Amino acid sequence: MLRPERMCRLLIAAPKGEIDTIVRELYRHNVYHIEDFVPESAAAESLSIGHPLSGASDAASALIKVRAIENACGIDPENVETREKLPASKVRAMIQTDLPVIQKEAEDLIASRSRLEARQKEHEQRARELEPFAAVPLDLEFYRGYTRFTVFAGHIAHDVTIDVPHEKYFSDRVSGNMIVVVVQIEHREQVERTLLDAGFQAIPVPEETGAPADRLKDHLEEGRRIADEIAEVNAKIAGIRERHTDFLVACDELLTADVERAEAPLRFATTEETFITEGWVPGDRADRIREALEKVTNGRIYIEELEVDDDARVPVEYENPSFASPTQVLMDIYARPRYSELDPTLMVAIVFPIFFGMILGDVGYGAVLLVLSLVLRKFLKSDEGRMLLKVLSYASISSIIFGVLYSEFFGFPLPWPPLIFSRHLNIGGEAGGHGPQVAELMIVAIWIGILHITLGRILGMINARKLYHGKHATKAVIANAGWLGTMWGIIILIWSFYAIPMMPDLTGFPVAIAVGVVLLVAGVIGIAQENPLEVVELPTIVSHVLSYARLVAVGLSSVAIAMVINFIAIGMMIEPQLEVITPVGVIIIIVGILVLLVGHALNTALGLLGGGLHSIRLHYVEFFTKFYKGGGKKYNPFGMKSKFTEE
Amino acid sequence: MVDFGTAELTLEMVQASQLGMRALGAGLAVGLTGIGAGVAEMGIGSAAVGATAENRDMFGLALLLTVIPETIVIFGLVVALLLLF
Repeated sequence: MLRPERMCRLLIAAPKGEIDTIVRELYRHNVYHIEDFVPESAAAESLSIGHPLSGASDAASALIKVRAIENACGIDPENVETREKLPASKVRAMIQTDLPVIQKEAEDLIASRSRLEARQKEHEQRARELEPFAAVPLDLEFYRGYTRFTVFAGHIAHDVTIDVPHEKYFSDRVSGNMIVVVVQIEHREQVERTLLDAGFQAIPVPEETGAPADRLKDHLEEGRRIADEIAEVNAKIAGIRERHTDFLVACDELLTADVERAEAPLRFATTEETFITEGWVPGDRADRIREALEKVTNGRIYIEELEVDDDARVPVEYENPSFASPTQVLMDIYARPRYSELDPTLMVAIVFPIFFGMILGDVGYGAVLLVLSLVLRKFLKSDEGRMLLKVLSYASISSIIFGVLYSEFFGFPLPWPPLIFSRHLNIGGEAGGHGPQVAELMIVAIWIGILHITLGRILGMINARKLYHGKHATKAVIANAGWLGTMWGIIILIWSFYAIPMMPDLTGFPVAIAVGVVLLVAGVIGIAQENPLEVVELPTIVSHVLSYARLVAVGLSSVAIAMVINFIAIGMMIEPQLEVITPVGVIIIIVGILVLLVGHALNTALGLLGGGLHSIRLHYVEFFTKFYKGGGKKYNPFGMKSKFTEE
Repeated sequence: MVDFGTAELTLEMVQASQLGMRALGAGLAVGLTGIGAGVAEMGIGSAAVGATAENRDMFGLALLLTVIPETIVIFGLVVALLLLF
């Protein structure tokens, strides 16, 4: 909690003979994050990168085959539900016996499908070429083979008259019109000019015989027949998917594991007789993996725990209570925390839903989003998507709670008056109560901003001590205290000159002015001692605090849209028609209902975007910039959680 | 022709006109800051989309940078709300 999981740096050395056993054991435990060995040119020549284990290339080529079949059949292992786990030994046997058969079957089907598709394309192309000629009552052999005549065939803008002896067919039934003209060869140039003036575009005569209309019909029929055949082949491919998905994803998993294991030595350093690897395991698992390795090698292994020197090299794994862990996805979007840094996931997990609820405090919208997040969970299978939906469901629950407090349901008031501050605007001129308490809400938002930023700066002081050493750490701590002092100095000065409701009134105390000035000056000095250029950033104190006003502003705009939709749909369209029902009135009522539905659907989307983006932005920009560095490496243990197979 | 010099301004007229001015001011506050935020986000947004296309990991940072100028219009909205209520 509040810091990443402790890591232990292990150095493992063993004779090369044990490499297979050790890799297998490490893979099974799925906790060892391998640090890749990078040979340095200056280092002793006796250390070099290891060679893959035997069987690596076999496994890799089998894996390629499996992936090709999966690709052809449209199977994505990520989105396959596990029905039953197949035993690994059985899958291995089936890779030898069944896989080649399935592969052949799939390859044949794919090949015949692409052949059929090529033929279908050809027929379609022919049909397209024939289409204009079908409008002319001439068999195709009459278009060619003359010595004393020339034939023009093509599209033309309009019909033309030709003043030499000729035979002409014109049709405007096809797009672009169609003209065929046969003239004696000596008039060729003259006729061509006439035609070109009318926008003539020659088209090639298809190399076929018979009536074009019949040929066109033949090609279209052939195309349809092939389409049926393709559908048949597709059904067969779907059949393969139906029958073999379980086996194929199991193969994929098993072979991926084989390949990863076989290629692990590429990440180790080796000498002639031994190999060495460095890596990371979570602190509480270190002893267990040590014992396991010693057991499987009968003690023919050397394991040493090394000191953690550089925190940038340590892989980072979150350690959070279960309700906060979905929020890690929001952290990863920004940056994973560094190893020695505070992990603010827990704070984001608590504050993010509160901000979201403050912005979109509406029972109706909250319920819609809650249902949406629960329904989408059925369709989204990836881990990240599911985590985001969890975050959304927490946020929408908070939105419902704030909706009860604000007394809002799709912009309508609930039967009770707002329990906290009212956001009911006077739209349509029929609002009761005392109208929106915008000023009060603003002040609450500013208070939240002041407290959030103060928390950020205090965390900044703690973080500076963790991240930096010696003089640099002290300077950074003082700078953070300086920012805090400057902010509170400004606030106290404002309080001592103006009396603001819901904030301390210091107008009667001249000593407050002195305190404010001292804090302000000391703060600015504190900031400047770390880096004088930082003083330029002073206005951000005001803008960051005021930025929290968006908690109210964005929320009010969402309320305003909801109330306007209600007023237009119900107040202006539906209600007046209900007094006297007429046929036109019924249509207007239906349109009004449509306006209501579409409007609220749009406003739900806007509320989700506005509430989500603005809440997370307040964290990223206003909160994290005060203390958070980020940039930790992701902890990626060597191994795999088997989903489809079991040993 | 109405002689504006002598036409009587009643108290109601003055109040109504002030109300209108306030509404105008609020509209200007939101509208102008909206244009400002839009202009600022234009450049950032196109660069952010480009960067995200190059490297998917940039998405979080890109989104973050894109919404930074949104503060401008939020200030406008705050001013407008304070004017109106």
